[in-house]
Amino acid sequence: MNFRHVWIVFKKEVKDIARDRRTLFTNLLIPIVLMPLLFTFLGGGMEKMEEDIENISIALTAESDTAEIRELLEKQVFADFPNIQFKESVENPSEAILQKEVRFVLEVENDFADLLARGEPYTLTIHYDQSDTKAAGSMGILNQAIQSYSRQLVQQRLTDLNIDPQILEPVKVVQVNAAEENKGGNLMLMMMLPLIISILIAVGGIPAATDLVAGEKERATFEPLLTTQAGRLSILIGKYLTVALFSFVSIIAQLTGMTIGGIISPSFFTMADGGGSMSFFIPPGALLISILIIIALGMVFAAIQLAISTFARSFKEAQTYLSFLTFIAMVPGYATMMMQPEDLRPLMFFVPLLNAIASLKMSLGGVINYAYLGIGLATSVVYVILSLMLAAWMFNKEKYLFRN
Amino acid sequence: MKILLETRHLTKHFGEIAAVEGISFSVGRGEVYGLLGENGAGKTTTLRMLATMLQPTSGSATLAGYDLVTQPEQVRSRIGILFGGDSGLYDRLTAAENIAYFGRLNNMEEAQLEERIRELARIFDMEEYIDRRAGKLSKGMKQKVAFARSIVHNPDIMLFDEPTSGLDVGATRNVHEFIMDCREQGKTIVFSSHTMSEVEKLCDRIGIIHKGRLVAQNSVAGLREEFQGKNLEDIFVELAGDER
Repeated sequence: MNFRHVWIVFKKEVKDIARDRRTLFTNLLIPIVLMPLLFTFLGGGMEKMEEDIENISIALTAESDTAEIRELLEKQVFADFPNIQFKESVENPSEAILQKEVRFVLEVENDFADLLARGEPYTLTIHYDQSDTKAAGSMGILNQAIQSYSRQLVQQRLTDLNIDPQILEPVKVVQVNAAEENKGGNLMLMMMLPLIISILIAVGGIPAATDLVAGEKERATFEPLLTTQAGRLSILIGKYLTVALFSFVSIIAQLTGMTIGGIISPSFFTMADGGGSMSFFIPPGALLISILIIIALGMVFAAIQLAISTFARSFKEAQTYLSFLTFIAMVPGYATMMMQPEDLRPLMFFVPLLNAIASLKMSLGGVINYAYLGIGLATSVVYVILSLMLAAWMFNKEKYLFRN
Repeated sequence: MKILLETRHLTKHFGEIAAVEGISFSVGRGEVYGLLGENGAGKTTTLRMLATMLQPTSGSATLAGYDLVTQPEQVRSRIGILFGGDSGLYDRLTAAENIAYFGRLNNMEEAQLEERIRELARIFDMEEYIDRRAGKLSKGMKQKVAFARSIVHNPDIMLFDEPTSGLDVGATRNVHEFIMDCREQGKTIVFSSHTMSEVEKLCDRIGIIHKGRLVAQNSVAGLREEFQGKNLEDIFVELAGDER
């Protein structure tokens, strides 16, 4: 291998791709612009949904609309819930709900006061549309209010009977967080980031890889290139570094887009934590190992992409084959999406792609096992070497190189 | 005449298929040797072997004194190729950048390369568009850039594989002129084609290749003499047209 030739090929390929508006547009501009927009819409949509669920409109049926019942509901049951608004009573509950005039219609037995005085239960009927997502969400708030009111009544009754209300609470549960202050990570990032990065790594280098071998074959530039004094390995490594570079550039662009999106609409990241904090801490050592493993994964994909592009007869054929890589990356990504760092098994750190996902999940989750991360890094290096050997073998095989 | 290219029983098999079978010929300095054959006869495979793209299954060849198998890099430093009718340029690079890329990969120094590109731009009358992107050039302009690229490192031997395939009359004429210029400069030329007229027009000697074998080789006049005054087309049909 001649490093001067590698550098010449690399420089030329970078210049060539950097002048390709289509690649720049899809690899750089779209992620940086699209991601923040996506997050804004998704995050904004979530915020709006939460706001709508909290703002509840209620009406009473005409029969239940008495001053006594209104006072019971407004001043007692829902007194601590200012977002619950009472509207005019309705004749037909179903129609009012389906017409979206109100979200709930309540019906209370008219003799509730007598039943209450006798210590007997009275019925409160709630009409709502179960298929309405917002109504389903609001129902939780309504239940919470009614249960809180019921508890108050029970406590009052027990006190009247000279019984300590604590009799209803035989066990008192105290929760103590044993984790370090910063540990715990961010659930949303832990779920999404390994998946997103593995998919981005798998697809980031595809435009470059397709263009650099299959594209060259199609444009008839490949044969003149092979007859220069540059050896095949030098040509391959120059192209390989270009594919790897554009793969990382694509990821950086995507992550930049995500970060901008996160700043503009933080609710996207915190929604899985129930609106919790977005802050998390990764120990520098673990962060470094994770980054190295991701870089190694990018290099593995770059080599595989070049091998596939070498095998392909044409640009289109290469695109078809390479599109399958996205699915290959998706499988372990989705399979481990819901896994917690504690669920990760040592074997996962030996399997290509899964080792990168597991390492990243471990680092983001804050449950660091350096032995596992070490295995992940060592196996990644082995896979880089193996994949590069595969690409070099393909690049030297006449039957693949001249299939067209 | 000094022999610059010599093949000895050059053979290439792809699995069971014998693409080229024991071809031997030699070409002297300043000579144009034409490989005439139908599609699939083995012309491209022969030229790909001579360009070190394919490894011969057996046999050998010497180009400019270097062995094809043991000294491929040195062989590549002495050859220039023009394969197919497509110019095969990088559209997003300028004409100069296209030429420079191949010059650099052929180990030319920057100062020498710059001088050579200026010279080639003058020779091929490309000065006006030398810094324009190849994708924006006309077909004729692209063709000139491809010519310049193939000789940027001043090779002794030129390999042309059906260089006029798919080209119009004007572009074909340009290729013919380029080949004649190369001959005038004393370059050794191997030229493959299935067009009788251009082989007759350009080549000093012709080798008729059929099913991977060289079935006849001589000058056009020599072949006519061998085949009792028949024209080249009749000779070709007699040698390579057995299936019709």
